[in-house]
Amino acid sequence: MTLPATSFDWVRALVHRESAIVLAPGKEYLVEARLLPMARQLGLADVGSLVEKVRSRPDPDSTRRIVEALTTNETSWFRDGDPFTTLTSTVLPSVLAARGPNERLQIWSAACSSGQEPYTIAMLLEDALPNAGQRVSITATDLSREMVERTRAGRFSQLEVNRGLPAPMLVRHFTRAGNEWEVAANLRRMITASECNLAAPLPRMGPFDVVYLRNVLIYFDLSTKQAILRRVRELMRPDGWLFLGAAETTLGVDDSWERVVLGRSSAYRPLKGA
Amino acid sequence: MSTAHTGGIDTGERRRSGDGRPVITDLIDEPTVQSIVEDAWVALVGEDEVLIPLAGEPIGDVVSAWVDVVGPWTGSVVLTTGRQTAAELTRALLAESSPELLEDEDVADAFGEIANVVGGNVKAALPGSSALSLPEVGEAPAVRNPEDVVRLDVLWRGQPLSISAQGALPPLPVPHPPPGGQSPHENGASL
Amino acid sequence: MRALVIDDSRAMRRIVSGILIGLGYEVRDAGHGREGLDVLDEGWIPDLVCVDWNMPVMDGLQFVSAVRSNPAWRSVTIMMVTSESEHTQIVRALAAGAHEYVIKPFTADAIHDKLALLGLLPQEVSL
Repeated sequence: MTLPATSFDWVRALVHRESAIVLAPGKEYLVEARLLPMARQLGLADVGSLVEKVRSRPDPDSTRRIVEALTTNETSWFRDGDPFTTLTSTVLPSVLAARGPNERLQIWSAACSSGQEPYTIAMLLEDALPNAGQRVSITATDLSREMVERTRAGRFSQLEVNRGLPAPMLVRHFTRAGNEWEVAANLRRMITASECNLAAPLPRMGPFDVVYLRNVLIYFDLSTKQAILRRVRELMRPDGWLFLGAAETTLGVDDSWERVVLGRSSAYRPLKGA
Repeated sequence: MSTAHTGGIDTGERRRSGDGRPVITDLIDEPTVQSIVEDAWVALVGEDEVLIPLAGEPIGDVVSAWVDVVGPWTGSVVLTTGRQTAAELTRALLAESSPELLEDEDVADAFGEIANVVGGNVKAALPGSSALSLPEVGEAPAVRNPEDVVRLDVLWRGQPLSISAQGALPPLPVPHPPPGGQSPHENGASL
Repeated sequence: MRALVIDDSRAMRRIVSGILIGLGYEVRDAGHGREGLDVLDEGWIPDLVCVDWNMPVMDGLQFVSAVRSNPAWRSVTIMMVTSESEHTQIVRALAAGAHEYVIKPFTADAIHDKLALLGLLPQEVSL
């Protein structure tokens, strides 16, 4: 069955609103190909039924998954650059100075998708710290079980490793496995991956020194954004660092954060006494 | 190709015996070849281009493009399709930089480059190190050993296309007479 | 900014050149390593070279070594763009002096991401 025009238009409008990416008319086929796995997973017959289901009862998780399936950008390593380069240049030295030599640093990648973000962090730390494996633990969470399993597996396709992963890091931290590339075992050991719904009460975790919560808040309404930021703050160290997506901010949402300009981007830190 | 059928019962044995020369089915499976070809299509031909795993009969003339792989396994990675389809593939690959009028040379070049991309990735998925030739276009090299072939048949925009990794060497002679005493023979040639 | 695209496939030259022109580059191309060196010998020094590996006359690895042996060309950033994709091949290319490596097949986004890493995206372009 082909995708009804009304469904296609709804998807186009959603993707444009959330990602500024324009799906040209005639891309119905792309929408069908990208969303079919999600439809199947939900036990639906086709993409038309999926769109009707989400349209009639919108929920942030489904809309996020639809947008992610249709926007290839999220699969980049070092996406947006600065939140990663400033991790080793600014954030890490500050956190290390504030902790004892035997204290383990805890980092949270809160919407880890297929794993590019937590492994980018792991590679940077491995290259910056002589004993990263003992010194740091990275918690990677995602709403989707499939994404959590992909993160755990640490295997990436040729097209995925082509997306913004520096070649020297590819050869240092990956080996080939058939047609895929597999992350080195020492990096996989640094990461614990699990399912987690940010819009619900969070499990006991942390306290985190650094949190990456990028390109998630945009999918939620104001009160949910506020609830998520509050729950995240409760899991952070008082002197921790929060990275949001390039189009996201705490300003006008939750005033208990201090914005710190780092390079061309920003990080957020819990305001004292807030 | 009668050699493939001599002593059909001992194929598994023969494959792993002799001088240990591997056949392609020992080294790569069809799903791996399929994922290589699908990645090439998505990236080069178009994001929404799908390959349907069905065999079909090409209409009219066919053309092949291939690269040779030389290493622990020696053979060719061959793409074969109808001439019209190869031209359509060229237009899709070149997209907006496609010339008004496609020359044969454009089609040979583009189809050859697709064979290079698929062949390079097949080579990389094989164990050990191998060398890759420059692409060639024309009539595909003959299959020398039907057991040394991994072949994938797909439809692209409804038109048939085949992708195969095929060994360049004839099957090894059976090292020992199979039980039953029949000596191996190759079309009557002495061994 | 200037880019030189070296590939024996003219389809691939057109594709890579098209992406770079779209990003604001002034582009020249060559069909193999020797032709690429001729362009540099003329004094047309690019900021970026995208070079294939397997080519007739002079392959990409020989080209990288030749460029790296001339101190006058030190400013040139070299990115291999090739279907050679074994771990050992990428190591060889980097050791010879290539800065980056894009495995064929690639998307335009992949080229864009790598240029962002290299700081070689012309400033006026934003996505």
